Amino acid sequence: MTPLRLRHGLLAILLLMGVWQSVLPVAAQVRDEVTLGVFAYRPEPVIRERYAPLADYLSQESGVQVRLEVLTQEELTRSLAANRVDFFLTNPSHFLLIRSERSLTGVLATVIRSWNGQSTGSIGGVILARQERDDINTLKDLRNKSIATPGVHYLGGYQTQALELLDAGLDIQRGNRIVRLGNHDRVVKAVLAGDADVGFVRTGIYEDLFRESPGLAGELKVINRQELRGYPFVLSTRLYPEWPLVSLPHVDSRVVRRIASALFALEPEHPAARAAELSGFSPPADYQSVEELARRLRVAPYDQVPRVTWLDVLNQYRYWVAAVAVLVILLAMTSLWLGRKKRQLVVEERRQRTLIASWPQPMLMLREGVLIDCNRAAVDLVRYSSESSLLGKSLAAFSPFVQPGGTPSMQKAESLLAKVMRGEVVQSEWLFVRSDGSEVWVDMTLAPVQEPGSGAPSVLCAWYDISRRKNAEERQRLALRVFENAREAIFITDAHGAIIDINDAYTNITGFERDQAVGSMPPMPLDEGSSILVVAREHGVWSGEFASGRQSGEAVVLNLTLSSVFDESGALSHFVGVFSDITRLKDTERKLRTMAHYDALTGLPNRVLFSDRLQQSMAQARRQNYSLAVLYIDLDQFKPVNDAFGHGAGDALLVEVSRRMRATLREEDTLARLGGDEFSAIVVNIAGEAALQQLLFRLLEAIAEPAWVADHSVEVSASIGYTLYPQASELDGDQLLRQADQAMYRAKRAGKNRYCKFSDAVS
Amino acid sequence: MNRRHFLRLSVSAAAALAVIGCGRSEPLRVGVHPWIGYEPLFLAEEFGWLADSVKLVKGRAATDSMDGLLTGELDAAALTLDEVIRVYAEGVPLRVVAVTDVSVGADMMMVKPGITSLSGLRGRSIGVELAGVSGVLLFSILEHAGLESHEVTLVDLPVNRHLDAWQRGEIDASICYEPVASSLAKVGGTRLFDSSDLPETIFDVLVVTEAAARNRAAAVRDLVQAHFRGLRHVVRSMHDAVYRIATRQAIHPDLVRRALATIMLPELAANQRYLARRGQLEAVARRLAEILVREGLISSAPEYDRLCDPSFLPRSLR
Repeated sequence: MTPLRLRHGLLAILLLMGVWQSVLPVAAQVRDEVTLGVFAYRPEPVIRERYAPLADYLSQESGVQVRLEVLTQEELTRSLAANRVDFFLTNPSHFLLIRSERSLTGVLATVIRSWNGQSTGSIGGVILARQERDDINTLKDLRNKSIATPGVHYLGGYQTQALELLDAGLDIQRGNRIVRLGNHDRVVKAVLAGDADVGFVRTGIYEDLFRESPGLAGELKVINRQELRGYPFVLSTRLYPEWPLVSLPHVDSRVVRRIASALFALEPEHPAARAAELSGFSPPADYQSVEELARRLRVAPYDQVPRVTWLDVLNQYRYWVAAVAVLVILLAMTSLWLGRKKRQLVVEERRQRTLIASWPQPMLMLREGVLIDCNRAAVDLVRYSSESSLLGKSLAAFSPFVQPGGTPSMQKAESLLAKVMRGEVVQSEWLFVRSDGSEVWVDMTLAPVQEPGSGAPSVLCAWYDISRRKNAEERQRLALRVFENAREAIFITDAHGAIIDINDAYTNITGFERDQAVGSMPPMPLDEGSSILVVAREHGVWSGEFASGRQSGEAVVLNLTLSSVFDESGALSHFVGVFSDITRLKDTERKLRTMAHYDALTGLPNRVLFSDRLQQSMAQARRQNYSLAVLYIDLDQFKPVNDAFGHGAGDALLVEVSRRMRATLREEDTLARLGGDEFSAIVVNIAGEAALQQLLFRLLEAIAEPAWVADHSVEVSASIGYTLYPQASELDGDQLLRQADQAMYRAKRAGKNRYCKFSDAVS
Repeated sequence: MNRRHFLRLSVSAAAALAVIGCGRSEPLRVGVHPWIGYEPLFLAEEFGWLADSVKLVKGRAATDSMDGLLTGELDAAALTLDEVIRVYAEGVPLRVVAVTDVSVGADMMMVKPGITSLSGLRGRSIGVELAGVSGVLLFSILEHAGLESHEVTLVDLPVNRHLDAWQRGEIDASICYEPVASSLAKVGGTRLFDSSDLPETIFDVLVVTEAAARNRAAAVRDLVQAHFRGLRHVVRSMHDAVYRIATRQAIHPDLVRRALATIMLPELAANQRYLARRGQLEAVARRLAEILVREGLISSAPEYDRLCDPSFLPRSLR
């Protein structure tokens, strides 16, 4: 026995002791009698009359005295509560109610009713209305009608009809006036009397009443009549199992067995069966359909929907709740932890971002060849306004089309990135074009960065501005090129003047090879020598022209500029010399000078040089206190020669006459051609007038000699004027020449081919 | 003629057959004929559990449903498995979406007293309605007995004429069912074999055309749901169902009870099992196809990857 059963047992015993004074032990009832309670669904005498034979039959067959009690539902319930009933027969709905209250009842058998030779184990409901009620024909017509019923706990007398109406859309429990009358006969009476519009009775009642009072036949009609083949009664609803005969648990099992066997042994023809209008008992039917009906109608025992409280839920699902709670807590903790981590991560990321953004070195990120991030320094380097103007572009976008070296920027960038994708760290010099068009050299480092979760690796790119270095290199290269390619010879010496380096031009000019030159002294003017180094050291520079010699001994004139180079501390470290070969230049200079002072035809000094010489000679004469004479010589009849034989002949004649005159004069005397056929001469250191006149005479003679020009013998003469110096008054050269000129005119006038001395008197 | 002939009442079928619903959207037309295994569908209709998307087209016999499927007038039908194969072999692809019942003794072989074992059938003449499920039962029996069909004499005869043939001595054995079986028993016949000896072989099923299965899944689901709701009423409210079935079939309720005893009504879980990929139904269908081809009742076995489709079965009943 479980504790529960024990408690029930005790309760039963206590009840027995309390209610019945003639207390008997439960087991002792075997000897005496058992009580069969039958629910009075019709008036009590009718039921007693019908079931008394059954009780007798059972007493006889089972050997146990069976006492019949006909009870209303309330009485039956009370008797059950007092355990005064051992077996009972009631409708299925009432049985469900009792079973729900007691929990322990067993259906022994289900009633099989018979009617006119037909038997059935099924029960249903009938809806009756008076025949003349034309307004009530279908289920729908029951809306708002008053209903007479024996009671709510009647299956055929209430619940079956209620369900059909519910299915038809009518909730009579809410919408109708329901009159509970206790049994089926009163229901029929109420309908007949017009007290109720319709009445609910169980199957079989209608037939009973007709048998008892056939006069009723035309007065009632059945609503929603079901024509079911083989079912003996009129019917308005679907069918359910018939009444159960139930034994109570306190009854001795032997008694139960005996009663049950008697029940099943009951034949339809037996008087007891006939009296009760039964055809016997069948094994217990399945009352599930009745339970379902009660549930749908929400009638007892299923009228109270249990209030599900939170505690119930908690109790029923406590493991689930606990599990869910634990999960929720874990989730919350994880969320908190994740949140903190995330915040840390954000802070960390912000710090790194700030670090990178403010890092003075340009840094960038590339993905799939395109910039995805960069810092301020990068933007500044290429002189763009903002980061966004850089992002999304490739490196080639702000590079010249072709990088120095000849590779197109795009191609070079691709090959670099390809290397990076293979995992290498790549370094390369790169030329960018800034937004303003200027160029900037960077040393670019590219390194792969594998970011978890992103497919292609990113590339970290750092730039280092090497423009300055590049420019320096460029200058150096330029300087070297100048050094190497200059036409001027360049040498660099140490502080003592010993050559460290020379260029090719040095070798070309001097003929010394580099290895010969290095270590030796550079060419220097012979007279000054290494003193020019001292000058250059003191003044920073020395320059000058001087003659020097090549390795071959050939003379050469050099134009040298020597500069001193000081180191950071101001100490002299080097000399740099640049010189050029000006030999040819000097030559040309000389020729030019000759052309300026001499007559091209005769090679005699021209008027300019003559004036110069005259000045010098005058000065010398004054200094050395001797006399000089200035002659003015003009050829006579020269023009006819020119006209007759051409300029060539004229020129040849002039050259011949010049040669003769030059030969006649002394070495220290100067003969000059003043132009055309006019000549002038300076005769210095005159011994006396006579000697001069002899000279003049010889001159005239020399001129007058026939000359052979242009295959002709030509004769010319000359008229000569002369003057002496010093004179009484001081004169300049021009005055002297003019005097001579005047004297020459006198000679011309006097008949040519003669000489005349200047005299004031004449003029 | 069909074995359900005796259970059949004069259904106003001809009219129903012709009716083709013309509603908002054409309902799924389901061919049914009177048979205890199909009663859940009729009950569902009676209680209004049939959705608007489904319309029962009531025929007198299985041939009506088969013809309807072949002509395209029907989208679905309740048939025995061999009938399904016959229709499929005629070129209408079908899917079995539910098993309504399995025969456990409804079909039987009655023999004259001289025959006491299956091997005793050799050389005897057997009355059988070859076009129906009886044919399948016969061939299954012969297979069971190890006999070839040419070793017996087959008399193709509608079952309602078996008694006459029996009494005239034209047949020594009969493949039949109630009430012919009881009649034969009265004139000395004994039951040698029945479908309970071939467990899980004779299936009644709900089939839908491949097109309906593809395009009107919701309606097919409604059909299957209605069957199971009707079935629940049969099981839970047998007291009510028996009378309603008896009324429709115009027979005594006791006969309905007896008929219910000769079939199994598989519920949802059993359906899932039967319709599974390697389930009983696929195997039986293949075997039936072999028999039908061998006996020349169909020209070739229908070709399909899978005949059964459990996807329309409801998860649970509302």
